[in-house]
Amino acid sequence: MDQRIIDLVCDTLVRAGSTFRPDQKEAYRRAMKTEKNELANWCLATTLENAEVAEKNRSPLCDDTGIPHLFVEIGPNRQLTGDMMAAIQEGVRQGLRTLPGRPMAIKGDDMQRLDQSGGLDEDSGALAAAPMIIKNVDEDVLRVTVLMTGGGPAIRGITERVFHKHNAKVVADEIVARAKDRVSLLGCSPCTLAVGIGRSQYEATALMIEAMAKGNYDKQTEMEKYITDEVNKVCTCGPLGLGGDTAVLATFMKVGPQRASGVRIVALRPCCCFEPRCASVEL
Amino acid sequence: MKRITTPITDEMVNSLNVGDMVYVSGYIFCGRDAVLPKIVRDMEEGKLADKGIDLTGGVVFHTAVSPAGTGPTSSNKLEIEASIEPLSKGGIKMHLGKGQLKPETIAALDKYNSLYAVIPPVTALLESKVSSREVMAYPEEGMEAFHRLYVTDFPCVIAAVRGKSIYDKEA
Ligand code: SF4
Repeated sequence: MDQRIIDLVCDTLVRAGSTFRPDQKEAYRRAMKTEKNELANWCLATTLENAEVAEKNRSPLCDDTGIPHLFVEIGPNRQLTGDMMAAIQEGVRQGLRTLPGRPMAIKGDDMQRLDQSGGLDEDSGALAAAPMIIKNVDEDVLRVTVLMTGGGPAIRGITERVFHKHNAKVVADEIVARAKDRVSLLGCSPCTLAVGIGRSQYEATALMIEAMAKGNYDKQTEMEKYITDEVNKVCTCGPLGLGGDTAVLATFMKVGPQRASGVRIVALRPCCCFEPRCASVEL
Repeated sequence: MKRITTPITDEMVNSLNVGDMVYVSGYIFCGRDAVLPKIVRDMEEGKLADKGIDLTGGVVFHTAVSPAGTGPTSSNKLEIEASIEPLSKGGIKMHLGKGQLKPETIAALDKYNSLYAVIPPVTALLESKVSSREVMAYPEEGMEAFHRLYVTDFPCVIAAVRGKSIYDKEA
């Protein structure tokens, strides 16, 4: 196996689990300037302080260190072999041991994994990554983005159809309606909404992961901004549910190809205060 | 920020109000859904002293203790919320976690002059404030065993005390 790939992916996973990106830090600073609620402001400042300590120590942002998800971009002249994919998986394993990830892989057969009767594997590295998403891109790169997805947003996420009535605003308003309660229930807010819109549950979810991997707090489309503003108007929960105006920091949305039909499939994930925990590396 | 050190007395509880930002220092217990029902049962059967556990004036932080650190889990999970009344009766003065509790639980806290505080999930920051950790009971539960930490200045917000809750609009 290619040791260089293993080391690069290991380091990328540690960065994903321990580091706020510059645009994410800036989004927190902007929110602190506008947030008038004292408790909410304290919560934003404490979350940012946590990110600084985590980055300095290369230690987990949160004790729910998340499930590794891999988003791979491959350009026209690059190759990805089975051996390279195995090296990427080994890099994930070593990254989980280095971070360290919370040991939360469940042992046993199908039934035991469902009811958790097979016990926990004490090895942080035993936590398998979700199936890799591989996307062709025009840029001549082989880029791996590691995302560490927490349990809270997974509990509150939803993937379901929307009847669009030939009006994009109907889709946006349904996303706002679905986000409202989910953001309030999240607890670990402020939230970043990740949205994928596709032709099937699989495609919508893959697009949502891409939105998390590529989203930027400094670059918001009209529709992303509309969703963020509308959810903040109706959600008064604020950070950690303590009140205030900052329930949602931004929306990261990816709209894929659509089919000739009255239905759009929307995947929505209310990402928690540390998400999207992701970092990228070019191999 | 106010500062309190464990063990927490009734006077300390009486001095705190919903919305107060507080630093907590001293020994605190840690447990969540797997172990708290067992601790309640041990308490009711009078077995805690044998395990060297004294709940008087104590804090229970709703968390696992793993190599990744600590961080609050939702306190409104069934087994955790159900532990709040009996553990308050047994002497716990602060339940530390996150999320909204039921009105019955807020009333039960008041009955035993105990309180509920929320703590942000700031694992890296909390790790820098923990100076010792030990398993007090049920080591077979691994990261979900009943632990005791020594902490300095854990940051939290008082979310429920004397029958009032931060989640009430009028609080
Ligand atoms: S929802 Fe996010 S911040 Fe909250 S415990 Fe899970 S990973 Fe941590």
